[in-house]
Amino acid sequence: MKELQRFGYPIFFVVMAILPHLLNSRWQAVAITFLIFAVVALSQDIVLGKSGMFNMGQALFFGIGAYTTAILNSQFGWPILATIPLAILIPAVFGVLLAGPIVHLRGDYLLVTTIGFNIVFVQVVQNNLGGVTGGPNGIFGLDSLSFFGTDLISQVSVYYFAFAVLMLTLWIMRNLEGSKPGRALHYLREDQLAAESIGINTRIYKIFAFALGAGIAGLAGTVFVVQYSAVSPEAFNFIQSVLFFSIVIVGGSSVPGVLIGVFVMFVLPEIFREFATWRFFIFGFAMIAAMILRPRGIIPATFGKIPKFLIKESNHGA
Amino acid sequence: MVRNELILTDVTKRFGGLTAVDALSFKVEAGQIYGIIGPNGAGKTTVFNCITGIYKSEEGSVNWRGEEIRGLTPYQIVDRGIVRTFQTIRLFSQMSVAENIMSGRHIKSEQKLWHGIIHTPGSKRDELANWHRVEEQLDFFNLGRFAATPVGSLPYGIQRRVEMARAMAVDPTLLILDEPAAGLNDKETLELLETIFKIRDKGVTVLLIEHDMDMVMEVTDYLTVINFGKKIAEGPPEEIQKNPAVIEAYLGSEDDDDE
Amino acid sequence: MDIFLQQLANGLTIGSMFALVALGYTMVYGVMRLINFAHGDMVAASAFVGLTIYTQVMGQAASLLAVIVIFLLTAVAMACVGIILERIAYRPLREAPRLSAVVSALGASLVIQNGIMLIWGPQMRIFPELVPQISWDLGGVVISLIQVIILVLSLVLMVALYLFVEKTRIGAAIRASSIDQDAARLMGINVNSIIALIFIIGSSLGAVGGLFIGLYYRGITFNMGWQYGLYAFVAAIIGGIGNIPGAMLGGMLLGLFNAFIAGYVSSTWSDAFTFILLIIILIVRPTGILGERVAEKV
Ligand SMILES: Nc1ncnc2c1ncn2[C@@H]1O[C@H](COP(=O)(O)OP(=O)(O)O)[C@@H](O)[C@H]1O
Ligand SMILES: [Mg+2]
Repeated sequence: MKELQRFGYPIFFVVMAILPHLLNSRWQAVAITFLIFAVVALSQDIVLGKSGMFNMGQALFFGIGAYTTAILNSQFGWPILATIPLAILIPAVFGVLLAGPIVHLRGDYLLVTTIGFNIVFVQVVQNNLGGVTGGPNGIFGLDSLSFFGTDLISQVSVYYFAFAVLMLTLWIMRNLEGSKPGRALHYLREDQLAAESIGINTRIYKIFAFALGAGIAGLAGTVFVVQYSAVSPEAFNFIQSVLFFSIVIVGGSSVPGVLIGVFVMFVLPEIFREFATWRFFIFGFAMIAAMILRPRGIIPATFGKIPKFLIKESNHGA
Repeated sequence: MVRNELILTDVTKRFGGLTAVDALSFKVEAGQIYGIIGPNGAGKTTVFNCITGIYKSEEGSVNWRGEEIRGLTPYQIVDRGIVRTFQTIRLFSQMSVAENIMSGRHIKSEQKLWHGIIHTPGSKRDELANWHRVEEQLDFFNLGRFAATPVGSLPYGIQRRVEMARAMAVDPTLLILDEPAAGLNDKETLELLETIFKIRDKGVTVLLIEHDMDMVMEVTDYLTVINFGKKIAEGPPEEIQKNPAVIEAYLGSEDDDDE
Repeated sequence: MDIFLQQLANGLTIGSMFALVALGYTMVYGVMRLINFAHGDMVAASAFVGLTIYTQVMGQAASLLAVIVIFLLTAVAMACVGIILERIAYRPLREAPRLSAVVSALGASLVIQNGIMLIWGPQMRIFPELVPQISWDLGGVVISLIQVIILVLSLVLMVALYLFVEKTRIGAAIRASSIDQDAARLMGINVNSIIALIFIIGSSLGAVGGLFIGLYYRGITFNMGWQYGLYAFVAAIIGGIGNIPGAMLGGMLLGLFNAFIAGYVSSTWSDAFTFILLIIILIVRPTGILGERVAEKV
């Protein structure tokens, strides 16, 4: 585990940084998809893995972000990059408003309400409420990325945009880990009553986790729009949420585990295209097998970190 | 002179038909080591739950330094300087000892929510300062060499110490211990006594529940004895020892008490 | 008024199907504290199994006897699938973290759903017309024979299940296992057998539900398990998951609610309204209508 942290991350970053130059355009597109879904899965990890809240509706926030960008671009002509602040903020606000009334619900009840939010969202979008979502077909023909008047149409620039968003996400997650709010999430995940009894207002932190996860997923939504120049309801339906949920649990809630999960779920099918109809059949078995063989996930997370000066020479474990 | 006083007046807590705490009143003075004893199921833990906001008593008042705290949430009560441990240890078992103790610093830390996203020089300073306070607790409770160990993998006696260290990290005014000696061997119990005295010497008031009569007699300044949720006696340990009602209550339930 | 009565009749029909399926969710949850996400897909699978039995085994005969045989064979087949499912996907995870079992259930759901697709194909299949298309016009309200059969048979099954759970020794063992598995084990109850039994009952009731769905809606698709399963699951939660009468109540309520939404608003909004109802109920009663609140002892 230590070695993985020492060498794994630098190697991962270097490989990811040069990757688009090694790939043809089809595989560049696959790599971009990987980056986008990795960001959403990590945002799900903040809520589900780090805070232990059974959220099965993360595609909702991903979708709100994507639709925010798409609507601002198609209806109001905003450049894509200019929509980013709102594509983060609006999902985050929804995160607060939706989580507020339900975060006190226990486990499975929380799970089913979050599924519910996701399904309501998809139906609202499909029925073209307010006439801006484009109904079942969604919104297409959106602008490509442009930066101070220069169009960044090439797939490589989209790749680096997506990569930057992933780096930002990882950076935020690292900051979270070494902060009071991040620890509070771990505490409430382990024992909510003990957390309250040591002075943590768990409700605030639960809502915070939802909002943060929603904001990051929303940003991934913008990247999605950049990549596909389109949005449609089924890209954000609750089956997607189920996949993100499973990725986090199968991965073990750790960053490398989640990245492996995203790779398996979204990149492998591209490699084995001839098995496309067998995809979910095989995944289903793989999910069962993974859980039986590694009930805590492929690479179980180790929570938190403590400063070096506290680790004495004769330390046990860790 | 303000005496840090906890005053319970006629506190009553019911569970359905069962009155677990029945019009209980007592007063804890600053600097005391105050004991609550009583047979199993007498309602001791429930009283603590009513003080610390886990339950809200149906009737009565819980007054802390002149403020009514009945009805406040647990974290609001911690914010007023009252911290507790649990009869059945409740630690964050997958996390390290140091992080468990760090949870006690939560309420003292000045970091805001957004510091979870971006650190600032101020938040880094705050973080470091709090870890140093954790180090103090690690030293005080002699837990230094376990700092990085996941607490769930440690022996019971050490977990008890971690739980107290976590509570002390809050810098409490009143420390509430629910059967701190339960499950400890003789040597560990002796260490615990010493620790409790040292905590009192730091100026912290201690309120504890204890089963083990010998230990209670040794450590407390003043005692309240309850049975079936009602107070049956109060006074200094020497008096309580001679009180016929107390002897009766304890003899009556001798069998289920001995472990 | 006509719309009201008509939707009342439709709602009770849909509701009894929801209730039958919801019972499978709630019974498994009651004992194992697990959302059996694969249950909806088992329900879908039973419609296809029924279809195949009709064409392959019964030679497309639609006599009363044929119908009974189809129901029985399908129920037996699905009960076997249920037992296998529990053995493979759930039993190894009893001591594992709760979410691992949830993901295993999701995996099982994908396996069954896509298994249906691989066997019967991705396109919609039409369920045979096993029951003659008879209907009565009762002063503007049309009620079909199928509706009557669904309603009556569901009620009979539910009453039978209720009596079985409340009045028999095995039923008492089921109730004991859902209150406290460990205590039940100490009392000499073989919890493994109880869990197997629950999968048998839940899966066969689900099979009946799946055949009803085929009979009533006719068009069956491999992925309809998500849709119907989710509704039934919501019904179980509304009633208070783990609670058997709660599942029946929740199913009926949700069926009626959906029918009235379809009648007075629009069926394109039924998902949204269903979940809004659920969320409101959970905000008011966090453990459903008949669910008990369990306070944590400290
Ligand atoms: N959450 C609860 N629900 C129902 N009864 C409870 C609850 N908590 C405690 N009790 C009951 O209240 C009584 C007092 O319990 P407790 O305060 O734990 O006793 P003690 O700590 O003195 O052993 C017991 O009869 C116990 O069963
Ligand atoms: Mg107690």
